[in-house]
Amino acid sequence: MVQYRFHQYQVVGRALPTEADEHPKIYRMKLWATNEVRAKSKFWYFLRKLKKVKKSNGQVLAINEIYEKKPTEIKNYGIWLRYQSRTGYHNMYKEYRDTTLNGAVEHMYAEMASRHRVRAPCIQIIKTATVPDELCKRESTKQFHSADIKFPMVFKKVRPPTRKLKTTYKAKKPNLFM
Amino acid sequence: MAKPRRISRNPDLVKGVGKYSRSKMYHKRGLWAIKAKNNGVFPTHAPKAASPSIAEKTSKFYPADDVKKPLINKRKPKPTKLRASITPGTVLIVLAGRFKGKRVVFLKQLSSGLLLITGPFKINGVPLRRCNQSYVIATSTKVDVSGVDVSNIDDKYFAKQTEQKKKKGEGEFFEAEKEEKNVLPAEKKESQKAVDASLTKNIEAIPNLKAYLSARFSLKSGMKPHELVF
Amino acid sequence: MPFKRYVEIGRVALVNYGKDYGRLVVIVDVLDMNRVLVDAPNMVRGQMNLKRLSLTDIKVDIEKAPKKKALIEAMEAADVKNKWENSSWGRKLIVQKRRAALNDFDRFKIMLAKIKKSGAVKQELSKLKKQAA
Repeated sequence: MVQYRFHQYQVVGRALPTEADEHPKIYRMKLWATNEVRAKSKFWYFLRKLKKVKKSNGQVLAINEIYEKKPTEIKNYGIWLRYQSRTGYHNMYKEYRDTTLNGAVEHMYAEMASRHRVRAPCIQIIKTATVPDELCKRESTKQFHSADIKFPMVFKKVRPPTRKLKTTYKAKKPNLFM
Repeated sequence: MAKPRRISRNPDLVKGVGKYSRSKMYHKRGLWAIKAKNNGVFPTHAPKAASPSIAEKTSKFYPADDVKKPLINKRKPKPTKLRASITPGTVLIVLAGRFKGKRVVFLKQLSSGLLLITGPFKINGVPLRRCNQSYVIATSTKVDVSGVDVSNIDDKYFAKQTEQKKKKGEGEFFEAEKEEKNVLPAEKKESQKAVDASLTKNIEAIPNLKAYLSARFSLKSGMKPHELVF
Repeated sequence: MPFKRYVEIGRVALVNYGKDYGRLVVIVDVLDMNRVLVDAPNMVRGQMNLKRLSLTDIKVDIEKAPKKKALIEAMEAADVKNKWENSSWGRKLIVQKRRAALNDFDRFKIMLAKIKKSGAVKQELSKLKKQAA
């Protein structure tokens, strides 16, 4: 199994009950964070922007990690996001093929950093979805949908079986011809 | 549990003055009965013979240096644990000493924890010999040692012979030196033969095993000892 | 020269790095240019980087991401195990494994057999040389 840096959490919280309102509305949010503490922090960050609830007058009712239901299946994940660039805020839609949503999110963070130089704290994930093949928009995902996909491996990766056996210098130049 | 308080038969009237007189107490305590039983005298123990020691005079001075008294060591060494891979009949590779590289047969573990091994002597020149298990590689090859009797061989068998010094006359000084060579006693030769006889029979039953035992082990280029299976 | 082995659904590959080192797997789906979904009878289906795979000549006729049962059936139908063990690559790996498992006595016996063989070859050669002369 691949270990991802970002995990998906579900945080449930509400404003503290008062005499006027004994049952304040409960909010649930699914978000990505490296651990539970950060997930809670991110939850309050979004909640105080969206609703009139702050950490000082609110409470977290539950926090759970959400795991992929079928990590053995390839899906197309669509991610809608909003990010802060040097000039302003932008919205974006991206598509990834992966076995887990966490993997797709991880990929998205890496791609945003490389293509747009945007780091993870500046990115807000608006929503995610698994997209059926026929509704995919991006050519980069559509090209892998066909069942008779076929392409060669162009380079041979010459690598010892474990990291331990890795050496910096070799006696012979490796043959990379396929 | 608290002990029952012994109450005096002669309670105090005032502190230091008892209720009864001395003679009254003599009767009360029943000492007369004891005396009557022992023919008018109190029974006595014969004094113990005074121990003759304490002749040592204590020093006039305290010692100038602290001399540490060693602690009493009650530890008894545990019997040596034999490696699981070594069982009677296992072919071993000797790693150190005069016979390093030789492949030998393990016979039994002696009470000192050392291994009793033999070449056999006829095959590769290793006699009945003791060896520490840490100087040995155990192979997975086994020889049948069912017919070999080594019950009479123990650690004493390998004890060093104490040499008696012979007085020599001046004249025979030189000739005597030549005769005094270290000769192996006949009984050792006998026991070696007895052990080897049945063992060689078992060895010759398996093809190539005799040649294997007579060959020395050595590492060749490309052999990685940590990856080898023995 | 065209390529002989392609990354495609049904291609059998050998894992050459990591936890599954030495395992023969089948590519059942393609994630992207670098990653594929692989499966084998005795493993959990999962994604693997193509850098970790060496493609073989063997191909299995399967659907895209088939059921485990269908995959095993297809592998048996394509006779993957036999084909692999009879290919020179597979044979070499088997020999490697067997050699590593030899004990000291076995190595000695091989040494004797080698001597015997080279002796026979030499004898035969000298005979031929005499005939030629």
